[in-house]
Amino acid sequence: MNPEPFLQLDRVIHEKGRMAIMSMLAASADLSFTELRDALGMTDGNLTTHIRTLQEAGYVSVTKSFQNNRSLTTCSLTRAGRGAFANYINLLEQIVRQTRSKEQ
Amino acid sequence: MESNWATGHLQVIRTLMERSAVYRRALAPVMTANGVLGAGAAAAGLMARVEAPRAFIGYWMAVALVGVAGSFLLARRQALKDAEPFWSPPTRRVAQALLPPLFFGFVLGLLLVARQGGSGGAPGAALCLFWLPLVWIALYGCALHAAGFFMPRGMKIFGWALVLASSTIGALGAFGLFDWAEGPLFGHGVMGLVFGAAHLAYGVYLYFTEQSGNET
Repeated sequence: MNPEPFLQLDRVIHEKGRMAIMSMLAASADLSFTELRDALGMTDGNLTTHIRTLQEAGYVSVTKSFQNNRSLTTCSLTRAGRGAFANYINLLEQIVRQTRSKEQ
Repeated sequence: MESNWATGHLQVIRTLMERSAVYRRALAPVMTANGVLGAGAAAAGLMARVEAPRAFIGYWMAVALVGVAGSFLLARRQALKDAEPFWSPPTRRVAQALLPPLFFGFVLGLLLVARQGGSGGAPGAALCLFWLPLVWIALYGCALHAAGFFMPRGMKIFGWALVLASSTIGALGAFGLFDWAEGPLFGHGVMGLVFGAAHLAYGVYLYFTEQSGNET
């Protein structure tokens, strides 16, 4: 089996929590911090840590605003984040195809 | 083995992407409020003897507007309480799915009201008090069914139930099974039963199931 696709997998995304965050954000223009937290069942601290890692990689942008005198933190994928996520999915599909063709 | 985890990852990603696009506000308060409104409006309409076709149509269109506005306010209140944006992409998708059938129902009502005052024969009581409520119910069912593609739970089934109820009542009426089919009792009764009681029943069902569903 060609190990190349596996080795190419983005280590930032290839972590359960961060992959979940990227998946949620890939299907929405943006999501609030609380929406992400509730949908993924993460603690505030855990989510903050993962988002910071994704932010540092340039995959997620975080916007802070005020809505009805309450702070609102919104997350969205950057263009680089969308590209990296699409690439990650392509590599997963390649791995699936390779293994299936080998099995046949 | 390697294929298994990669397939598993892809399935998780797909599930999460679908969940992200789904409207997740609690629907029980909205359904219950609309049920109370529908049942109350039917009772009030009968007691106040809102019987003329024009008055009947105008009355129920006003009730519908109150229902729509109330639903949006309840959803907005939930969003504010959860510190989340109200006009989120899932909310937009649900609103877009609801709009075409509701818009047509509203226009139809307006046209029939307008024709009541016109010359050349106004639409009859049977059209306004029997067929129009059934068309409204069917259109509302279609709207909920369309919105159900972006909502969890049995919204599509509820939409279908409304369409089937409207079709069945229409068939029974068409074959003369209702003596009072052309009377205001039918119009208010069917609106109260279908919009009021059905929403109430669905709202109560959601109260007992929605909380546990959200926790999973």
